[in-house]
This record gives sequence, C-alpha cells and structure tokens, in this order.
Amino acid sequence: MTMMSQSVDAFVEGLSSFLNSIPGSAVLVRYVKSSHQNDPGRTVLELLLVAFAIFTLLQSRTRADRSGKHFIQFEEKEIDELVDEWKPEPLAEPLNDVEASDLAAVPIIIGQTGPKPTLARQPSKIIANLASYNFTGLAGKEVIKERAIETLRKYGLGSCGPPGFYGTLDVHMQLERDIADFLGTEAAIIYSQGFSTISSVIPAFCKRGDIIVADRGVNFAIQKGIQISRSSVRWFDHNDLKSLEDVLDSVEKERKKRRAPLTRRFIITEGIFEKDGAMIDLPKLIDIKYRKKYRLILDESISFGTVGRTGRGLTELYNVPAAKVDMLIGSMANGLCAGGGFCAGSQNVIAHQQINGPSFVFSASMPALLAVSASEGIDILRSTPSILTKLQQNVRTARSLLDELDCISIPSHSASPIIHLHIRKPAAGLLHPGSPSLGGGHSLKPSNPTSILPREASKWDWDIETEERALQQVVEEALKRGVMITRAKRLRGQEMVEARPSIKLALTSELSTDEVKKAIKVVAQALKDVLRK
Amino acid sequence: MNRPTSIKLPALGIDVGAKPLRTRGRSGSIVKVEQVGEGSIEEVLDRSAYSNINADWVNAKGAWLIHVVLICIGKLIIDTVPGMTQQISWTLVNLFYLALSYLMFHWVTGIPFHNDLHGGAYDDLTLWEQIDDGAQYTPAKKWLFILPITLFLASTHYTNYNPWLFSVNISALVLVLIPKLPQLHRRRVRLVHDDPSGIATPTTPGFPSGASTPSSLRDITEAHFR
Repeated sequence: MTMMSQSVDAFVEGLSSFLNSIPGSAVLVRYVKSSHQNDPGRTVLELLLVAFAIFTLLQSRTRADRSGKHFIQFEEKEIDELVDEWKPEPLAEPLNDVEASDLAAVPIIIGQTGPKPTLARQPSKIIANLASYNFTGLAGKEVIKERAIETLRKYGLGSCGPPGFYGTLDVHMQLERDIADFLGTEAAIIYSQGFSTISSVIPAFCKRGDIIVADRGVNFAIQKGIQISRSSVRWFDHNDLKSLEDVLDSVEKERKKRRAPLTRRFIITEGIFEKDGAMIDLPKLIDIKYRKKYRLILDESISFGTVGRTGRGLTELYNVPAAKVDMLIGSMANGLCAGGGFCAGSQNVIAHQQINGPSFVFSASMPALLAVSASEGIDILRSTPSILTKLQQNVRTARSLLDELDCISIPSHSASPIIHLHIRKPAAGLLHPGSPSLGGGHSLKPSNPTSILPREASKWDWDIETEERALQQVVEEALKRGVMITRAKRLRGQEMVEARPSIKLALTSELSTDEVKKAIKVVAQALKDVLRK
Repeated sequence: MNRPTSIKLPALGIDVGAKPLRTRGRSGSIVKVEQVGEGSIEEVLDRSAYSNINADWVNAKGAWLIHVVLICIGKLIIDTVPGMTQQISWTLVNLFYLALSYLMFHWVTGIPFHNDLHGGAYDDLTLWEQIDDGAQYTPAKKWLFILPITLFLASTHYTNYNPWLFSVNISALVLVLIPKLPQLHRRRVRLVHDDPSGIATPTTPGFPSGASTPSSLRDITEAHFR
C-alpha cells in the first residue's frame, strides 16, 4: 500500500511539474494534493474521470443518422463532373415505340359511352362495349342524367373544399345515409376518388406496430395503403383461406415468442379481386376472423353494385350481415357509374375516418351531381333487381362460351362480372401457374409470409412484353369485327409484383343475351386467330 | 396446437420489407446487446419530414442553464429538510439528478408531442438518441456529459471524501454515463433468461411486458362479438 502511495505521489509530482506551465495550475495541484487524503484509489478514479471528460470535450462532431447510410458524399471533382455531364431532360419525354402504339390503339368514343358506343375510327359500325365498367347499365340512364343536370343547376359543379372544411353538402350526407341504409351498416363515409378510398382507410386505422395480413393478389391501391401505413405486413396465398390461417397462427406465435404487447390486427382482402376476378369465401373468412380476433377490411370495389340479389355485394350474396365486416369499402365509380368510393361500418369507424382519413381530410369532396347520381343509382338498383339477374345471366352466357376455348385460361370466378383471360401456355397442362385457385393447394411448402411473392414465383415463366403484344393484337382484331375489349392496363414497374398480362372483359346488363353471345363469339374467334398463329 | 413438422417459418422481427433478424439466435450468455431503430428508408423519411421539437429543445436558449438552476433549487429544497447534513444533502442531490436525468434521457422512449407527425418512427428511441438526429459529440451532448461529472466532483468535495458515499456516487455516475457513450447509440442491453425457448426478458425500455395482457382474453369466444 505504501509502495502504491509512493508511486502515486511520484506521479502527482511529475504531473504538477508538467502542469506548472499552465497558468492557474498551482491552485489545481494544491487542491488535488489536499483532496488526496491518503486515498490513492479515489484520486486516481477522479483524475481518470476528469481526463475522460476533457477527452469527450475535445472530440469532434460525427454525422447524424439521417445523413448516414442514405447519403453519398461526393468530392468536389465528382460533383463538377456530374454537373458538366448533366443534360436537362425534356418536360415530356418522347414516347418509345410500345408507348406510341399503345396510345394510337386507344379507341376514341364520339358522344356518350354506353353498351354500343360510336367510335371515331369506324363511325358506321355500332359495336358491343365489353371494356367499360357499366355493369348495371347506370351509365347514361336518362333518369340519372336529368337529376344530375338539375343538381348542376342548383349547386354548381365543384364543392370547393375538403369535406371537413365547408365541402360537405346535404347531398353528400344523403348519399352517406343511403349507402348505410342500402348495405345495412350503421354509417358510411364518402371519398371523392375510388382509388384513394382504400388507400386512405388503411392508414387511418393501421399504424406502425400494427399487424396486417393481406392477400398476395390485392390491387395497387391496397398495396400503396399498406405501404403508407408503415404496419408490419404478412402475406397469405391468393384466395387461400388455409394459408391465411397458417399465417395468422405464425403471427401469433411470433408475438408470443417476443412477448410483444397485443396490437391491432387486420386482415385485408378484396371481395372480387380486380387483378384476376377471383371471389373469396366470405362466411369462412368471417369465421376465421372471429376465431383469431382480427379486424376485416374488405375492398368490394368490383363486387359492390354487381353481385347479390340487389347489388349489395358479397354480403348479400352470401347472406352475411354487413355489420360483421369491420370496414367495408366500395366504389361508386365502378358499381354505380357515378364517382368516388365509400367506406361503411360502425359509427366509431366512420367518425374516426372523418378526422383521420387522409383523403377525406385533404382532398376536395366530390361534386354534388355525382353524389346525386350515386343516390339515384342506389334507388334504381333497389327497385329493379331484374338488372342484376340479367347481368348474372350475361356473365353465365359469356363464361359458358369462353370456357370452351383451350387457348386461354380464366382465373376469374364464374359469377364475377369481370372476366380475365390469360394466354394458356400449351405445355402447362392442367396446372397453370397463373390460376390462383390451384396455386395454394399444390405447393408442398408454404410460401414465406414476409414476401409478397409466392413460392411458385420462381416458376413463373410468362414474358410480359410478348403476351402484351399478342393480347393487343387480339384487342385490335376484335375491334375490327365490332367488339370493343381491352387489355388490363397495369402500372408496370410500380406494383410490388408484376401481374400477368390479361384481357379484362366487363360484362353489362344492357346487352341482350344474343348480343352477348355474338360479341363473345367474335372475341373467341379473334383469340383463336391470333393465338393459334 | 399440433403443427405439422413440414412447416418451417423463419423467425423474424415483425417489419415491413422483411428486414433481417433483430434478435440473435439462442446463446448461453446472460446479457445481450440489441440494435433498435434500424433506420429503414421509411423510418428515415418519417423522422425527417418534420422537425422533432421533442429533441430540439436541448439546443434552445436556456436549456443548458436550466440544469444548473434546477440543481440549485433541488439543493435548497433538500437542505430545508430538518436534520440534513451537507454530506447527505450533496449525495442526495447527485443521486436525484442522476436518476431523473436517466429517466428522462435514457429510459423513456418515443415522443410525447407531435406524435402523429412522425408516425411512430421515434417509438424505439430514447431522447438521447433523438438529439441532433443521432449525431455524436454535439455541443448539447457534451454539456449533458460534463454536467453529471461536475456535479459528482462537487459532491465528493463536499462530502469530505467519505469512501462509502464516494462509492455510491461513482457507481451511480458510471451507470448514467454508460448509455451516453456513442458505442451504445441505439443499442439496448437485455438480460436473457436461460429458459429453453430462449425468450429474452428486457430490462431496458422498448417492451412493456406482455404479462399485463389478461389471460381471460383467450376465453373470449365468438359469442362476445354478436
């Protein structure tokens, strides 16, 4: 102990002689000596602490997290080079060949659209329109047109504001009541654009830390909504409820393992999928949701106004009370030929969206005449269920004729008013990679729920450009013969998983059975002619 | 529930975009160090969209002086307690300051104000990690580093270098200085129980324990929802 104290004394002596050069150091040395009090350990610790503090003070500032990984630090020379090389891009890029031909191929309709529009290119030929979403023939109905013109004279065109800021009119509130009454839910809320409806509902309820279990085949708007919400997302196989249960179980297991707190959990799926026309089994899904205690966000953008006895959607078709779906989203643009979309649910769900739905708060509300058109559309659907019967009959007729073709495969449900046609590869045989109903049950191992690509994605071998070109030829062939059809238009390069090219037929109740038969025969002939080559 | 053995799901932290593992695999150690707040592009976007007033106040006028003022006020209040000696008083001031500053800067995570603007991007970060967007050795951080050390040195001076009080004070100081080190930026030290499933019991914030979830939640049946 004495040896240690001797060595510490020597150290202190050396330090004091060094520090004598610093003014005021004599005071410091005297203080340290007096505080030593024969306890060398303590003195050493304190001196170390002071040294550490001075060391910390002398360090220079490091970069912030924000500019860490995602920021490339260029040198001056590199910056100068990049600036010299830069050529300003034109405001409108000239179209490449594919884009130019696509643009030229878009048909131009003279006058009003309808089941048999007049085209600019072939003014003499009246054709069948299997491309526009006019499922129940509400587009161009005289009653709706007159009411819309009345409303236009009364309210003007725009509503001049978001719904929360002087943009709500009595016709909007009437439409909300009509929708809630039509569907049988407590309340409904209207959004002015169909696309932004579902992508506003999802981030209104799902936040960072919540869990979303979504179908792999959901449309682009839902994918965007999920991305905005910042929730953790797990994917289940397209339209496969067994896979859904597996994923729900795995999520619960994961949560228990990490002893994480219970957060809000959602299942997001569509009634009829816009990507391929498949329809879900709603009663079974609701049963699963209650057993596992998840909330259900159901996007009925295609199925509202098209299925069910009076067009109320899947809930009517399966005879399930709409109150069992927590958030039921529909599109008045698709189903009622008006504009915008809605979300129906309980009072709490709707009241929450009035403050927290991004599109409701920040976008202008829809014009009054569209709201009135939608209300009229609902009245018409309610009073004439024969429209829906006619639509279903047309769908059945079309499917019976299309199912005979062997050059295409159809992933859509037999009752779905939109029919997707995929090119069938000759070597595929029975198992078609594109068809969702076969996909889930035949894979031996389940797909990874964190990735949107299913396990079969490695076996997908379709060439998008070739198939798009072939399908465009089919479309033009059919147009020459008098039937207007379209390819399913996709945002290539933006969706999370590239959809298979397809032709999307949208049946309508306005055409008679014979007209539908004739039109589908033309389409079938065009398909055979182009695809057999 | 019996699960067929052919199903193997990878153990992952729940994150958008399939982030890599957040927790380490099973190991025999008692303590493990975990990284939080990885800074995916979405989190960086959410953090930088608006300025974070919850962390910017440390650079505001008077934010440095307020520490000294509060310490003086605290000392005065503690001195008014009858029977208080200088030694105990200084020790108490030191300990209280360390405890409160630890609670405020290194225990509590998330932000109390403007929570919606940042969409939960700061939920895993303590106030220390939010200051100056995570840059190290900034003036504010240097001040907050020096202050406990100065207070400690003052307290040892005034406690007449009593070894017991010294040891209490210095261990408290070291405990509070450790999370201020840049090496521990966005890292949490967790105690690991050695039960066979390798479940981590966190002692530092981030996971309020799931023990508060009532077990009766499992007994809720469909009948409750009708």
